Amino acid sequence: MQVVPIEWAFGCLLATLGLVAPLVLMATRGKAARRLAIVLIVGSNVVGCVVAALCFWKESTVLLNFFVFSPFPLAFGIDRLSAFFILLICAVAVPAAIFSVEYFDNHYVEGQRNWVWAFFSLFLASMILVVTASTGFAFLLGWELMTLLTAGLILMEGDSAERRHNVFLYLLMMHAGAAAVIGSFLLFLPFSHGLDFASMRSAGSIMPHGIRTMVFLLAFLGFGTKAGIIPLHIWLPRAHPIAPSPVSALMSGVMLKTAVYGFVRFVFDFLGGGPWWSGYAVLAVGAVTGLLGILYAIAENDLKRLLAYSSVENIGIIFLGLGTSLVFLAHHAPVWAGLALVGALLHAFNHALFKSLLFLGAGAISNGAHTVNLEELGGLQRRMPITGLSMLVACCSIAGLPLFNGFVGEWIIFRSLLAGSVLSSTKAQIVLPLMVGILALIGGLAAACFVKVFGVAFLGRPRSAAAEAAEEVPPAMRVGLSLLASACLVVGIFPGLFLRPLVSLVQVLVPGAGVPLETVSIAQVIPVAAAVVLGAAIAVALLKRRERIARTWACGLPGLTSRMQYTSTVFSKPIRFVFSSAYKPDRTIDRLPTDQPYFPVSVAYRSVRTVSYEKSIYRPFVELFLSAARQLRRMQTGNIQVYLLYIFLTLVSLLAFLRFQK
Amino acid sequence: MKIALNILQVILLILGAPLVRGIIARCKAFLQRRQGASIWRPYSDLAKLFRKEDLVPPTASGLFRVVPFILFATTICAVAFVPLLHPAALLASRGDFFLFVYLLAIGRFFLSLGAFDGGSAFGGMGASREALISCLGEAPFLLSFVAIAILASHADIAGMVGWTLQQNIFNASAVHILAFTSLAMVVIAETGRMPVDNPTTHLELTMIHEAMILEYSGTRLALIEWASAIKLHAMLALLVALFFPWGMASGTSVGFIPLALLLYCAKLGVLIGLLAMIESGMAKLRMYLVPDFLGVASAVSVLAVVFTFLVKR
Repeated sequence: MQVVPIEWAFGCLLATLGLVAPLVLMATRGKAARRLAIVLIVGSNVVGCVVAALCFWKESTVLLNFFVFSPFPLAFGIDRLSAFFILLICAVAVPAAIFSVEYFDNHYVEGQRNWVWAFFSLFLASMILVVTASTGFAFLLGWELMTLLTAGLILMEGDSAERRHNVFLYLLMMHAGAAAVIGSFLLFLPFSHGLDFASMRSAGSIMPHGIRTMVFLLAFLGFGTKAGIIPLHIWLPRAHPIAPSPVSALMSGVMLKTAVYGFVRFVFDFLGGGPWWSGYAVLAVGAVTGLLGILYAIAENDLKRLLAYSSVENIGIIFLGLGTSLVFLAHHAPVWAGLALVGALLHAFNHALFKSLLFLGAGAISNGAHTVNLEELGGLQRRMPITGLSMLVACCSIAGLPLFNGFVGEWIIFRSLLAGSVLSSTKAQIVLPLMVGILALIGGLAAACFVKVFGVAFLGRPRSAAAEAAEEVPPAMRVGLSLLASACLVVGIFPGLFLRPLVSLVQVLVPGAGVPLETVSIAQVIPVAAAVVLGAAIAVALLKRRERIARTWACGLPGLTSRMQYTSTVFSKPIRFVFSSAYKPDRTIDRLPTDQPYFPVSVAYRSVRTVSYEKSIYRPFVELFLSAARQLRRMQTGNIQVYLLYIFLTLVSLLAFLRFQK
Repeated sequence: MKIALNILQVILLILGAPLVRGIIARCKAFLQRRQGASIWRPYSDLAKLFRKEDLVPPTASGLFRVVPFILFATTICAVAFVPLLHPAALLASRGDFFLFVYLLAIGRFFLSLGAFDGGSAFGGMGASREALISCLGEAPFLLSFVAIAILASHADIAGMVGWTLQQNIFNASAVHILAFTSLAMVVIAETGRMPVDNPTTHLELTMIHEAMILEYSGTRLALIEWASAIKLHAMLALLVALFFPWGMASGTSVGFIPLALLLYCAKLGVLIGLLAMIESGMAKLRMYLVPDFLGVASAVSVLAVVFTFLVKR
């Protein structure tokens, strides 16, 4: 049946994305070679989707071993978990690449374009490396490449001091996270033969309790940094918005999911669940991340920053699902643990779809209206109908509305939280059902946030000349947007297509997980509901009616201007007011002239969020680090004799150590 | 037979909705010592609106035009989850209360978007206020369902109602009282009744729902008005079904159905009377006191969920 073995197809995919396409791009200049490379990139991602789908149904792991060719333990394997994440990466990469064809042409000069594409291709390859690696070395190689390549892509977009600072912070946080990941790898060493995943898996069950706890904590810390859990998220709203939009789409939509992959691989696959409190810890972190993430998002007016914060929120939701699953695992309820894990993974997939769509939409807006500041947009729906429609689908999805994909994952997490009441422990009985309230609050705030995004940017009157002159984006960009939008709708209306494979994936990860009835009923009822809604909507739309264009009611005044509309800032005001303790705003109102307070000529209003993780959490660490460095400087005299003394002392102490060890 | 009954329920909920509004208005008029309009008035209002032409603002995009259809369609779909005469409904056995709550959220989401499209300040104002109320109302809304669902060990609405039906009315626990209180408060907020929103005002300082639909007219306004009437009716019916289901036709025998209908009308009448009393007796809350109102509802629903584990013992 199979014409080409999967191993070969996968090898070609890696080679094309990681070697051929970048080499072609770097070696040549000009359009023809670039076109060829782009076709290669898109084509290999399509192949990637097929490979992932095929591997998914294979019982055994597809292995690709490079031990013979390299001095390092470099090997790749695709099991169901990897296949799922390959699908996630490739499914988003195809529309993103199609979108980028014209986007990169519009945003870069000729000399840069090939390089941007080369980095783009390498970035995709590095993410596939991470999710298919089957040795620690290969995993960390991909992990590191992923960070560096995105940093390169961000720096290619511009070169201001602020940008460099943000990239520095990004690299710093990523490496701190990577250190924790390396640490959790190394902790396996005393118990396993090597750092290949198979022996790590078998070591996972025989490790003593303390080491398991350490591994869990380090993995949570390391992957949490990459995923952007609060308070380790500070790099995310700085790095994601300043990347080119298709790259932001991949960073937010896909790269964050590699951290979810890592967490699931370590905690579920290797360890088979953490210590008893681990689920509650992940739940708490997920709840805080989700809630604060969406609260910060709703206060933003820069669309891309808003989207970055909303990624933080969605990571929170995913970790809520993972935490729920861990709680169930700790209480030996594998069926429910499986259900919660399905919810978390499905939400990760859905978030990849709609968040990349939103970021691509932001790219389309900046292409059409030359700004992503919500306060300068408005009325884009009439000027950019396809972009608007795709963004509407994305906004509905992320707001968690039924019939769109965002709802399905959240629904399954809801149902698994509700199932917490069947556990025997009182703690779980109370905590899990109450988390329904937190998730509902997060969902409600997300809906409010994306009403704001779509309402302010796409509806009403244009708020600036640029928005007034906005034009629809060129065809390839529209294709990219519509592909993702239709994917959102397909998953949203026919969740059964994805639920069944996901259930079988989870059965591998969580031994004993059956096919929960919930997934069946969800898969059945949503298409019915969609048919009912669609039928009823069409029926009432066919009612006979007459239509006339008439001026908007303006209280009898001559006319409305765009300045009279509700702005993005004022829309979020009630929510910022109610949740002011999350922002601690510092407000200043300057009225000029000051001697006439009741008849001001100009009024300036400024409101700044003063809750700063940099100041309150990171500053003390930095201070500690710097003072330690100052102390150490005393040792550095610059005198060669002193250094010789150090070497001598080290040698003596080492010899002494050896002597006493015997 | 069962399916026929389910369809009858949906039709009752949809067609009876304007009557519920009419009766509430009449009760309020009685309490306020006014003559009041006929209870059939909402029907003639709807008929009048259906005959009028639609005015569309020049700034409006296609979205403005389809919002009423989406709102009406999702509301109808949500209604198919509400048991009325017997502990089952068209979609209630497969879907659960999460789907019900979020189907209503679709309508709200699109209505808020439609409000923006007029390009005036009122729409945005209404949408912004609605966003606050609905995001704070979501948690108590779901949590009060959760409390009952835990007791009934069912997540589908029909199962929950069926379980309650088998209980003794005098065994109602604290959980029921708390969940009812919280859900009733949420219903008031969600359907835009006093003291959260005043459905009869057009004063820009206070209006929420009316501000959002200010630009709609004709057929579209009729659909929006009807949809919100259906939502109100469905929510009240849900309160009846979840907390006072006794008297529902449990078998399939035809004889019980008129009795069930009669009892339903009586129970609904009591709720309507209570609602009218609340609306007449209370002043509208200041905008920034509404979060406190919903905060109380949230706290009550949290207590309801916490107490379930005591009751289950």
